[in-house]
Amino acid sequence: MPDLAALTALGLRWDAYGQAGLTGPLLRLADDLDHAFQQLAAQWQAVEERPPATLPASALTGHLRAFPHQATFAIGLEPTDTNLGEFADGPVVGPAGSVVLTRTGPVTTVLTPAACFHVYAQRRGTQLTEAAYVTTRTTCFRREQHYEPLRRQWNFSMREIVCLGTSDETTSFLAEARAQTDDFARRIGLPLAWAPATDPFFRPHRQPGFLLQRVQPVKHEAMYGSLALASANRHHDHFGSTFDINRAGVPVSTACVAFGLERWLYAVVDRHGTDPGAWPEIALPAEVVTA
Amino acid sequence: MRSEPEIRSALRTYVSRHAGDVAFTDQTALFSVRVLRSIHLPELIMLLERLRGAPIDVEQLRIGDFDSIDAMLTRFGGPHA
Repeated sequence: MPDLAALTALGLRWDAYGQAGLTGPLLRLADDLDHAFQQLAAQWQAVEERPPATLPASALTGHLRAFPHQATFAIGLEPTDTNLGEFADGPVVGPAGSVVLTRTGPVTTVLTPAACFHVYAQRRGTQLTEAAYVTTRTTCFRREQHYEPLRRQWNFSMREIVCLGTSDETTSFLAEARAQTDDFARRIGLPLAWAPATDPFFRPHRQPGFLLQRVQPVKHEAMYGSLALASANRHHDHFGSTFDINRAGVPVSTACVAFGLERWLYAVVDRHGTDPGAWPEIALPAEVVTA
Repeated sequence: MRSEPEIRSALRTYVSRHAGDVAFTDQTALFSVRVLRSIHLPELIMLLERLRGAPIDVEQLRIGDFDSIDAMLTRFGGPHA
């Protein structure tokens, strides 16, 4: 298990708030891994999309009810001269590091909790004529009770491949994506085991989404030991209905495969050691898997 | 606690309320064909608790428990099922 000193020597820039910066070998490895996942996405001719940092809170009502403990809101000060003056003339930041806020403006946006939400929100009210495949990478924000470098972070990079289609198309997509993820991981020496999983819902026993995950195989995680490196998620027509995305008159089904890039970094270092020269080649296995 | 035929009948009635024009049997995979959705699960659990006369421990739920009316009967058909 690599410690913080070893990871720092490899290019990790960790802060106590649960955030990681990257440089040097770890940054190069992160770029290589992301490129490999893009190659997987190319199997479906997935369109690359680069979303903004936030989502409208109005698009995430259900998510915020289910995961209020994880949400990070984007807020600003009420933009009146008086209020801004009170803020600027005050302590601004207190001794414990907390901003001493004056009146805040309306909070209307949420820092992205999952990359694929943008894919659905941007297609609100659209009609699809065939299956659509999208890939996107964004920084995701999830508050946690504790943080661990590369394993559990407040914000982290998520690469996703998303399918919007029929139920059969999403089922096939998930099966193929899981098989290719397995193959790629095996070729870079990372043993993975897929297992049914549940998300960390707030008051889970009252949450329909949690209950569904307990009784239906809608979420699986690719486990490297106790660490989930990827997840495969079947949403049925939940997002199609929520965002009014239709095909042939009915809400589309959606599914996604998500890769937590920092966790893959951790797994590679844990498995292959702290000498970057001993790390596996990343590009070639991805090419072989998708050939 | 209700008898198995009574529980089966009550489940059929519940499902039929949500099935619309979709035909179903006691073996139909109700969530896969979207006759039932996640939003129905809390209500369905409460219904089963009332019918069987015993609580259902959510932590003990397993994949497949609500797949069909038959599956629900097998898993929750009695107080100790």
